Amino acid sequence: MRKLLAVLVVLLSFVVMAQEVIKIGAIFPLTGAAAATGVKIKYAVEVAQEIINGVYPEINLSLAKSAGLPNLNGAKVQFVFADHQGNPELAMAEAERLIRNEKVVALIGCYQSSCTKPASQIAEKYGIPFVAGSSSSAALTERGLKWFFRIAPHDGMETVFFFNYLRYLNEKYNANIKRVAVVYIDNEYGVHAALMVKEKIKDFPEFSLVADVKYPVSATNVDIEVQKIKAAKPDAIFHASYIGDMTMFVKKYKEFNVVPKVVLSYCGGYQDPQFVVNLGKDADYFAGTNATTPALFAKMPILSKINEMYKAKSGVDIDGPTLEDFASALVIAEAINIAGTTEPEKILEVLKTHTFEAPYFVSEKIKFGPDGQNIYSASVMTQIFNGVYEAVWPEQYQTHEPVPQFPDWKKR
Amino acid sequence: MSMLAQLVVTGVLVGSVYSLVAVGLTLVWGLMDIINFAHGDFMMISMYTVFWLYALLKWDPLVSLPIAAFVAGMIGLLTYKLVIKRVLNAPGLMALLATFGLSLFIRNLAQFLWSPNYRFVGESILSGKRLIISDVIVGLPQLVAALGSIGMTLAVALFIKKTKFGKAIQATAQSREIAELMGVDTEKVYMFTFALSGICVGVAGTLLSGIFPVYPESGAMYGLLAFVIVALGGFGNIWGAFYAGIMIGLAETIGGFYLGTQFKYAIAFLIYLLVLQFRPKGLFGW
Repeated sequence: MRKLLAVLVVLLSFVVMAQEVIKIGAIFPLTGAAAATGVKIKYAVEVAQEIINGVYPEINLSLAKSAGLPNLNGAKVQFVFADHQGNPELAMAEAERLIRNEKVVALIGCYQSSCTKPASQIAEKYGIPFVAGSSSSAALTERGLKWFFRIAPHDGMETVFFFNYLRYLNEKYNANIKRVAVVYIDNEYGVHAALMVKEKIKDFPEFSLVADVKYPVSATNVDIEVQKIKAAKPDAIFHASYIGDMTMFVKKYKEFNVVPKVVLSYCGGYQDPQFVVNLGKDADYFAGTNATTPALFAKMPILSKINEMYKAKSGVDIDGPTLEDFASALVIAEAINIAGTTEPEKILEVLKTHTFEAPYFVSEKIKFGPDGQNIYSASVMTQIFNGVYEAVWPEQYQTHEPVPQFPDWKKR
Repeated sequence: MSMLAQLVVTGVLVGSVYSLVAVGLTLVWGLMDIINFAHGDFMMISMYTVFWLYALLKWDPLVSLPIAAFVAGMIGLLTYKLVIKRVLNAPGLMALLATFGLSLFIRNLAQFLWSPNYRFVGESILSGKRLIISDVIVGLPQLVAALGSIGMTLAVALFIKKTKFGKAIQATAQSREIAELMGVDTEKVYMFTFALSGICVGVAGTLLSGIFPVYPESGAMYGLLAFVIVALGGFGNIWGAFYAGIMIGLAETIGGFYLGTQFKYAIAFLIYLLVLQFRPKGLFGW
């Protein structure tokens, strides 16, 4: 009888362990000005949670093959969502609440770099890992934090990518691009992107910066900003803008007949599929870096399957920033699984040393450098043609040739 | 020179719409002494009304205008009936907090019902059209928005000044008790003023829906600027709000262009602070 009881206790303890839920905090802008993107990211993180906790043999990812985390007896992962509303102070408060009250073992977030910055400082204070997906300000990985990791290429990498692309257009298409303007929102993301342009342009002496246009967050109009840009006559415009302001800019470019050769966007509003929905034909020829594009789905079956699950929830195709935050959810879960424990130091060790498989990115893998930055940039340059984001550079991923000159607005 | 002319035209167009948002606010804040934090959100609701009529029935914003204005007016009226009336005799802070709560409720309800996506009225009879007068470009949607704002402000000002009911509003603003003693139905006055305020902001929202994204926070910055404009123009002074709106529009565009676009709102708020130092009642207040 005692033996039977002992066996029962052991079995029960296994059941309890198997049902253990590992909580990971996910802080995003679920309300407020950036909520449109935040809600989409939430759907993507929910898809990641389904993949981790369910069985999806058709998706070739280690956590998709069995239910839960196999090294933790099939423990389920639960992403606990918190809303920072685009407010850095709230992001900090929510990070603290998730760690202290919800007992999360790691954090992901926060989309806007201005919110990722304070929230990750709280994770540093408590000594738990923070994996940022799409926040792109280079300053985030320049702070010397021990617990912070970032998947997206930072704006310094993006800026170099932009200049190399312009160089490619000049060399291959004789585009004669020389004059560059930078247009950016007055927050961590925009200001740092502009700083990077001013710094990196020194390595590309054939280009000169002719306009630096900063605009307020929550702008009611962008009339004078566009007039300033027009007066500077740039060949290329670099944009660090979110979806609402980016859409207003395009409408004003049309109204004031601003016709540059190229417009390149940092990770932000351009990458949101709503950009094409809002602007229709006027969205054509805009370009920017993107971790993915629907044009690549046919070449990448795992990404296509993930998109299928995501689209069932959101109604739209997965976009670059959303995929990067999806990746952050998978990476932290995989790190916990490889560590075989929720002990922070052991998860940290895995994050620092392991190379994570990421077949949904063109780079196919993620590895964090000593500063916490993913050393494999997943970005391709995309340009919109007939409402479709096509991969235009590097040439090995090309689904469409780039067009290095905006046609006149009247001739579209 | 043509750049300065362009900036002045842009400033007047931008300022005219600010004015109409502020005129609605000055009616309830200036005349009734009630601060309505949900004022910008009434505008957002009217913008959604226009958007849905466009998306579902392909109605042009100008055709939707009466419906959107009516919806915003009804929301104003219901706000009075369901929220303001209950806190009218409580300390002033209560009405302020009640409308702040209402603002949060409306924004979150909009997000729940329609998602936080940024939407645009893609096509209208005005979209993409513009006038070019010796290098100065005037977008037709902005021009119509400005003309509509001026027309609506004029109509409200005439209504307040010339009609019997308008005089009842003025009397109630000066002293509710004495107005009641004179036979004014102040309950009806309050209710109607809130509805009129909603109609003003509803018209402004409709005129803006072709040029500004429609999303749950659409009215936030406009609401904030309206507070500054009302205080700058003088509480309860409709033409004061109008002139102050134009002034803020010009300060934003000319100041922003020459001093830095990132400072465009800072310049507007600085003017407001300076004016309050020397004329606490506002430029046109009594």
